[in-house]
Amino acid sequence: MKTDHYDVVIAGSGIAGSLIAKTLTRAGKKVLLLEAGLQAGVALDSDGAYNNYMSYLDRFYNAAAKVPNSPYPILKDAPTSNVLDVVKLTPGGPPPPGYLVQMGPLPFASDAVRGPGGTMLHWLGTTLRMLPNDFKMKTVYNQAVDWPITADDLRPYYEMAELEIGVSGEVSEQTYPDTPAPKAYFGKDYVFPMHKIPQSYLDTEIAKGVQNMTVKLNKRQYKINCISTPQGRNSTPNAKYPYRDVIWNKAEKKLKLTGLLGEKYDYNPVPSIWDAYTGQRCEGNASCVPICPVQAKYNPLKTLKRSNFDHLTIITQAVASTINIDEKTKEVTGIVYKRYNNPDSPEYTTGVAAGKIYVLAANAIENAKILLASGAANSSDQVGRNLMDHMVMLTWGLTKEKIYPYRGPGSTTNIATFRDGPFRSEHAAWISPFDNWGWSWPVFSPGSDVSDGLAMGLFGKQLRDYLNERLTRQFLLHFECEQSPDPDNRVTIDHQYLDPLGNYKPIIHYYATDYMLKSMEAAKTVSDQIFAANGIEDHTVYNPVTDAGYVTYKGQGYTYRGAGHIVGTHRMGFNKHDSVVNHEQRTWDHPNLFLAGCGNMPTLGTSNPSLTMTALTFKAAEAILKQLEK
Amino acid sequence: MANNRADLFLEISALLTGFNKAELQGTGMVATYYNTVANIPQDPNYSDQELAANEANVGFFFEEVNSILKENKKDESKLQQAIAGRLMPLSAYNGLAQSIITLWYTGSWGANVVNAQAYIQGLMWDTAEAHPPGAKQPGFGSWSFPPL
Ligand SMILES: Cc1cc2nc3c(=O)[nH]c(=O)nc-3n(C[C@H](O)[C@H](O)[C@H](O)COP(=O)(O)OP(=O)(O)OC[C@H]3O[C@@H](n4cnc5c(N)ncnc54)[C@H](O)[C@@H]3O)c2cc1C
Ligand code: SF4
Repeated sequence: MKTDHYDVVIAGSGIAGSLIAKTLTRAGKKVLLLEAGLQAGVALDSDGAYNNYMSYLDRFYNAAAKVPNSPYPILKDAPTSNVLDVVKLTPGGPPPPGYLVQMGPLPFASDAVRGPGGTMLHWLGTTLRMLPNDFKMKTVYNQAVDWPITADDLRPYYEMAELEIGVSGEVSEQTYPDTPAPKAYFGKDYVFPMHKIPQSYLDTEIAKGVQNMTVKLNKRQYKINCISTPQGRNSTPNAKYPYRDVIWNKAEKKLKLTGLLGEKYDYNPVPSIWDAYTGQRCEGNASCVPICPVQAKYNPLKTLKRSNFDHLTIITQAVASTINIDEKTKEVTGIVYKRYNNPDSPEYTTGVAAGKIYVLAANAIENAKILLASGAANSSDQVGRNLMDHMVMLTWGLTKEKIYPYRGPGSTTNIATFRDGPFRSEHAAWISPFDNWGWSWPVFSPGSDVSDGLAMGLFGKQLRDYLNERLTRQFLLHFECEQSPDPDNRVTIDHQYLDPLGNYKPIIHYYATDYMLKSMEAAKTVSDQIFAANGIEDHTVYNPVTDAGYVTYKGQGYTYRGAGHIVGTHRMGFNKHDSVVNHEQRTWDHPNLFLAGCGNMPTLGTSNPSLTMTALTFKAAEAILKQLEK
Repeated sequence: MANNRADLFLEISALLTGFNKAELQGTGMVATYYNTVANIPQDPNYSDQELAANEANVGFFFEEVNSILKENKKDESKLQQAIAGRLMPLSAYNGLAQSIITLWYTGSWGANVVNAQAYIQGLMWDTAEAHPPGAKQPGFGSWSFPPL
């Protein structure tokens, strides 16, 4: 069955797909959106949206392991990665069960959501920009690759992304290493749509001892700089924020930020998708990962809801499998999808979605898989390669005074000091967010503390006091190390590994180079100095037997965890030999095929990738509109 | 006996958790948890034999609780000793006392969350002077101050 002919066909309704659908339909283009997840999840009317979202929340409450994917339906026909499947790999052994076929030697430790709205349903919401040197790693540090665009090129698109997501933050506090001062880097008068999310009590207490302390690393001294973190969750609107919308300017052939000329305008925080009075402010639910109950945190359904539905058709439960290509013109002629009625049954019907332009926006790993399955866009042999994530090393300890974690959004402050510096020619850079949720990530606190107390024979008031002393002092620090691109860290496919609909399961080859291991060693020395200087009793344990991401370097053990930042599998570059897409996110090989998502990023930087990816997606939307109106 | 047992359950729950009876009642979970412990309604996943064994174990547990409370009415430190020695070991009544503590603190019974309310009412969140993630949200900016 072939669909009508659309201007643009998009696969995937995460931020990448939803943003293109919204921007294009509002410019009057006819769009078809294919989405692998359930029909119920795309409900945008008040009752439907509310009921479906509350079913997610209820699933979360009832889940024994409250992992990122716990609120969302598990679909046999559109399976996804899950951190519960991340286990220690045995060399030479068969891959463990799970959607990702983990060939190792190390497990890829991040997951994604397959459902309307995509993975940002359970993102944390951190929205940092990349730093200038992140775009030119080769030139400055002789590492990795340069981007074909600079931080300056991306600036107007960053501003669009910050409006789309609704960023709360203080520009004046964004002081980064080796980066022009905020006024120069962000623009003289630029402010974020909303003021910063208040930093946690924990942040203030820890920063008292950490701000400006000196640490030594590789014989150099660094002054620690703790700053507030910009984030995509609703706070108090900033009266100085000028923008209201991003619109297609037909005459100039550009996307433009617009204000309301001459009118006084207050930025309106974007509420929940079910009513205008819920989610206007972050209420401190402290469950942003895996689900914000009030939708004060941005999710892509908010973007999708602002599409022009006169021009938008959505087909759900439709899993894009391959793309058809005209051998002569190299043009894409359709996206082949398998549509299931019941997600637990292997029955499906096949359709072909047809349009002038096609966009794959199904997440970095899925995009690569679809391209590989179609033999498409791969003249550079880069499809599936350079898979990256932030390798997150955690350190944790007990503070002397009570700092009261388990309150507020996951993280509100970060140490920016090691985001850039000459050490990048030797080892990876990192960002260190303070974590507001105690030791829940590494050791499943507070449940594990209850078990510990019981194992000590405690009960009654003694148990209660023990837990109170312990839970109110738990400090957790992240070291999110920038993984550099490596052609051998990659996604491949094989007929041996198929899902119930007969689509390929992604096969993952993954390891950590010395460049990464060295950064964990360096980060640990920084952590040790911070803990020692502040009387934080170190409780960090890296367990060689039970930790899936246990690695050793120079005889010392470290454990990395996944950050959820799946990046690099169809990278952008300078020419058709070094990359899959150009700076407009169009594939070099197929004139009417665009890719959207973090797969396009040549390197990762030390920022969480979605803001940058959203900026790139605006660039893609602009290029598509230009191409349609040629 | 059933009523009596339910009273005993509340009594011993307070002693095991360190939360007083009013605090426990405030969670609204007393009846649900009593039924969880007493396996009411009966879990269809168990064989008749397992059910009978469990029923007996729970019966002995409450008899023991009853005697401990009676014998040590006047002496708080003896009461504590009796609980420590006769209820808390994992070998005593299949570790039922520890399971009851875990139930109150986390809302989980074995590997399962009893229900959504059980998760939300978990005592560990109060103990941390916080709130369960995803519920009882304290309001914008509250996290920037120490708890009330
Ligand atoms: C725990 C966690 C926390 C995170 N926190 C942050 C953060 O704080 N800051 C940040 O910047 N980033 C964060 N991220 C990363 C962020 O979630 C991703 O970068 C982002 O979701 C990618 O968006 P996307 O639209 O490209 O893909 P996705 O959001 O994954 O969306 C893909 C969409 O495509 C659909 N789809 C998949 N396959 C098919 C197919 N074959 N056919 C049709 N449809 C398909 C899916 O159902 C989904 O709707 C986090 C991730 C995780 C896991
Ligand atoms: S802290 Fe709570 S209200 Fe705020 S964004 Fe996170 S989950 Fe939503």
